[in-house]
Amino acid sequence: MVPLVLYVLLASAMFTIGLYGLLTQRNGIKLMMCVEILLNSANINLVAFSTYLPNENGQVFALFSIALAAAEAGVGFAILITLYRLYGTIELDNINALRW
Amino acid sequence: MYSDYAYLIVALPVLAFVLTIFLGWYLPKGGGFFTVLATFAGFILSLGILSEIYPDNIVIHQSTHWFANFNAGILIDPLAIVMLLMVTFVCTMIHTYALGYMEGDPGMARYFAEAGLFTAAMLGLVYADNLLQLFIFWELVGLCSYLLIGFWYRKPSAASAAKKAFLVTRVGDVMFLAGIVLLYTNMMKLGLPEGTYALQFQTIYDNLVNIPPDQLTWIALLLFGGAVGKSGQFPLHVWLPDAMEGPTTVSAMIHAATMVTAGVYLVARMFPLFYAAPHALTVVALIGAFTALFAATMGIVMFDIKRVLAYSTVSQLGYMMAGLGVGAAVGAGAVGVGMFHLIGHSFFKALLFLCAGSVIHAVGTNDMREMGGVLKSMKWTGLTMLAGSLTLAGFPLTTGFFSKDEIIVTAFEYGEFGNGWLPYIFVIVAALLTAIYTFRLWFLTFDGEPRSDYGKHESPWVMVGPLVILALFALFMGIPAQHAFYDYVGNNFDHYGVDFEELAIVGGHQVVHEAEAHGAEGSHGIFHTIIHILPILFGVGGILIAALFYSRWKRFDSSIITSERDPLRHILLKRYYQNEIYTLWFAEKVVYGLSLLFNMIDLKIVDGAVNKISDILGGFAGTVRKVQTGVIQNYITAIVLGLAVLLILIQLTTMEVAI
Repeated sequence: MVPLVLYVLLASAMFTIGLYGLLTQRNGIKLMMCVEILLNSANINLVAFSTYLPNENGQVFALFSIALAAAEAGVGFAILITLYRLYGTIELDNINALRW
Repeated sequence: MYSDYAYLIVALPVLAFVLTIFLGWYLPKGGGFFTVLATFAGFILSLGILSEIYPDNIVIHQSTHWFANFNAGILIDPLAIVMLLMVTFVCTMIHTYALGYMEGDPGMARYFAEAGLFTAAMLGLVYADNLLQLFIFWELVGLCSYLLIGFWYRKPSAASAAKKAFLVTRVGDVMFLAGIVLLYTNMMKLGLPEGTYALQFQTIYDNLVNIPPDQLTWIALLLFGGAVGKSGQFPLHVWLPDAMEGPTTVSAMIHAATMVTAGVYLVARMFPLFYAAPHALTVVALIGAFTALFAATMGIVMFDIKRVLAYSTVSQLGYMMAGLGVGAAVGAGAVGVGMFHLIGHSFFKALLFLCAGSVIHAVGTNDMREMGGVLKSMKWTGLTMLAGSLTLAGFPLTTGFFSKDEIIVTAFEYGEFGNGWLPYIFVIVAALLTAIYTFRLWFLTFDGEPRSDYGKHESPWVMVGPLVILALFALFMGIPAQHAFYDYVGNNFDHYGVDFEELAIVGGHQVVHEAEAHGAEGSHGIFHTIIHILPILFGVGGILIAALFYSRWKRFDSSIITSERDPLRHILLKRYYQNEIYTLWFAEKVVYGLSLLFNMIDLKIVDGAVNKISDILGGFAGTVRKVQTGVIQNYITAIVLGLAVLLILIQLTTMEVAI
């Protein structure tokens, strides 16, 4: 059995990558992808701890989380498509109509 | 039975107002018959009520709780009933006449709506049973006068006259309100029993002796300030002549039935208070008598037919005030004397104004220099105006003769009992001037040869009819009504148990008993006969003087007394430089200067402080708001950094604890 610490390390690495991407990228789609990575790192943690506890609740949470992520991606991409139609770009720096 | 419907006296004209203002535009004659009918119904009701309460000593009092210690109610006592009858009757005549006079005016519906409200407000004022209610209707009267004087609001002079009337009476109204507040404060200090209404007249009369006399004087003078504004007494009389800018029927209403009589009525209504207040009645008598003379002198030189009448109103109102004021010597009987002149004056002044309106209607000008010989084409108007002029001049046996002479004689008694002769001198000289200016007006208008090419036709019957009825009243009301009136109204305050002897002690008056006064008359019989005859001589003499100067039997030209360069004539024509003093100096220099100063203070200091504070805050906020970049990544960075710091801090603290 793979030791728990490896899962946690994987999850931490993914979380850090995701956060880094979120902070540095300006492209809408890249940001969406980073958010997915963040969510999935949390999912890995949930499933791993659930297996080791052992308690099925974590796996149920993970399933919910995946469903939510799918919904979030659907809405997010819909917004991005609309933005692209309006502005012809999804570079978020250029989309600042409501800013002061 | 009728008294159960007393509220209808006000409710009906209000209903007429509502109907006319909404439906009048679709009805013939602007729906004016609503107003006429409502007012006439009020007259019938008042007659019915009179039949119930006269001559028994019944006072109708209906009251309902309003709020706190105020009530709303109807009080019909002798003083109120004579006013109700007069207002409804004269207003019915004026409204009927207006059906003809206002014919063809596009604003006819508006006119009758406002006239109806005006009548309602005056009637409500008359039978209010407490001072607050009276004040509310008082203000309503002021509003309606504003609307009606400015009826032809497209004309700048009418608009400014309306504004002037409103603002000048406002000065008085503020004093009136201050008087009410002061009275209320004093009443509250007395610790009235639970459930009494502090401003009800009965309560006021009952508690007069308990209020400190100096407070009473202040209250009385403040209330009198209100009356001065409303009744056009010196120095707040300036709005009345300008109020001529409205339609003539409005002038008739304001000068005869409604509005200006309100001030006199207020003093009469509060007479016990004035009587109990030291010096208050002296002020009333002096101001009244001075106004009578002051206005009469100006009436003599005016050429605008309505202005002469306006100054005559101011002068006659002065008589009424003087009549009330000299009550210091004769007690409550003065109310009867003053009110009788008020009622009589309403008839003949309404008559005179309506006649003048009839003349203006036909001739098309206000200027008497362009008239002359109008009698040839307008027999009815001319003769009814002659009737009005005779009674205004105090020709023997007319109504005005009885009412004015009584005031003059009372003023004499006032002087005789050591209160000063000034009021008497003022009113007796004014009587001469009254006769002169009245007949100067009549002769210039109706006698002689036409001085310009004017329209020659008699007015329609709907206008002449009211004139004839009013003329009959003006001529013949005095003989049968005089003594009954003095008794009935003079004893008005007996119904409230007002003890005038007690009040006289508070007010420091020398009480003159009826018997004593008559005894004095007996001892100087001839002297008193002279005093009684003197006003007749002055009245008839004035008519003769006017005839010698202005009629077809002209013997003298006015140039023998005065010339173009005569300074006195100049002052009178300039109306004592009132315009210069009030408008050019006081309003435009003093008030406008002060306004500019205050405006500066407001802009620079008050607004400046507020603006400075908001500028500082705005600048600060402008800097701080930059933090809100709207870029989500900045926020995330902040969150992550914050979280990291938090984690490190937690780590450090837990380590310390662990150590």
